[in-house]
Amino acid sequence: MSYYDIDAILTDAEKVPCKFELDIPELGYLDNNPAQPLKSGTTVGLPLWLAELLALANRAPSSADEEAKSFVSLNLPPSLSNEVMSALKADPRAVPLRDQSHNFYGLGTRMLDLFEEKEICAILRRTFVTRAADIALHAGKAGATDDMGIGGGEEFLRGLEEWERKLFKKAHDGAKGSKEWMEGVKKHRR
Amino acid sequence: MALSLPSGLVPTEVAFLCEMEMITIVPRQRLESIPMLSGKTPALRPPRRADLPLWLALLLKKQRRANIVPPPWLLPASLQEIVHLETNYDPEAFSPPPPPPMRSDGRGVARPYATTTRSGNEDKELILAPPFLPSCTQDAPSGYLPYHWLEIAETLLAHAADDIPNAPEVRALLRDLQEVRAAKMRASTRHLEGGGGVLNIRGVGAMELAESRGFVLGVVDGVRKLGASAEAGRREELERGDDEDESDDDMGL
Repeated sequence: MSYYDIDAILTDAEKVPCKFELDIPELGYLDNNPAQPLKSGTTVGLPLWLAELLALANRAPSSADEEAKSFVSLNLPPSLSNEVMSALKADPRAVPLRDQSHNFYGLGTRMLDLFEEKEICAILRRTFVTRAADIALHAGKAGATDDMGIGGGEEFLRGLEEWERKLFKKAHDGAKGSKEWMEGVKKHRR
Repeated sequence: MALSLPSGLVPTEVAFLCEMEMITIVPRQRLESIPMLSGKTPALRPPRRADLPLWLALLLKKQRRANIVPPPWLLPASLQEIVHLETNYDPEAFSPPPPPPMRSDGRGVARPYATTTRSGNEDKELILAPPFLPSCTQDAPSGYLPYHWLEIAETLLAHAADDIPNAPEVRALLRDLQEVRAAKMRASTRHLEGGGGVLNIRGVGAMELAESRGFVLGVVDGVRKLGASAEAGRREELERGDDEDESDDDMGL
């Protein structure tokens, strides 16, 4: 992942729900309540880069008997919630992942770094591999003829998130290259 | 990442490389041996067959100075056999590549796999390693697709269709073969799901690789990224397990 990777930056900006563990004055506007301090226990969606730092950093205990605690506690974002996971378990192809998050797998890997969720990991992997086969099928067909397979595939292609779009482009470039050569070999040669 | 060149060879480059493959021709005119960087070409004497690189063979064919002898695997019977193998024998694996020209006889001696039937060629040196295996000459084994099968077949069909017996059938069989194998290529990535990270692509041709390299690498990379955290956890556990084992050993001693 490069420093200038636009998808990595956008993944960093994805909101994840965080529960604040302490009262914070002057931050009430985050909860649409500017007059009041932000109460502990409030859940606010924070961008991933900030949430990660706040959740991993420990604040100094206010008294000797209190344990060191983090500022916020992280939760799984709605795109990785149980409902989405069970839908993906049932049929990976039926879920438009782009509606869940533009960087669904990117967000997934970042969350898996923070949480140890073996099941989500397995489901994501199965989803990716199953959808990849479909992506290759559509990529081979797209642009071949106007009437073939496009009508039914459009819905599926609209649901692709960024990783899958890149994969689609790669598969399509490969198919296009060999098709162009096949047509070219018949025409121009010596 | 500023230069967005695709990794590996693109189809046109593969097609260019395949023109180095040797192919058998029947010359119609005499032609003296030509010294070239890759070695001397054989002197052409009309009724006698000779092996030439594909590019030269096509040039002579275009000038009507030679006819091309299609490799045995490009004949309809052989292609039918391969299609049968691909569809019925093993619906997941690709048909095997041609056998090596030599095999061990178990006593430490290498013997030629198939004895050459051509007479007058005993002095020819035996080539053992790709990419210069005579996989597309008339000596090539039938029933096996060589590495450059798709490019050779397409080029020959485009420029020497009159030398191929039953060209329309060959063309149709090639389309079938291509479709079947492309479907297998797409389905093969499903094996990555278990996290093995290994894909069996034995017998896949150069053009097919060029076509699906980007896709397959993309899937492998994606699966690797998705499993990275689980893999790190597993490794940690393994290390911890090793430590415990060691301490057990220490106790035993």
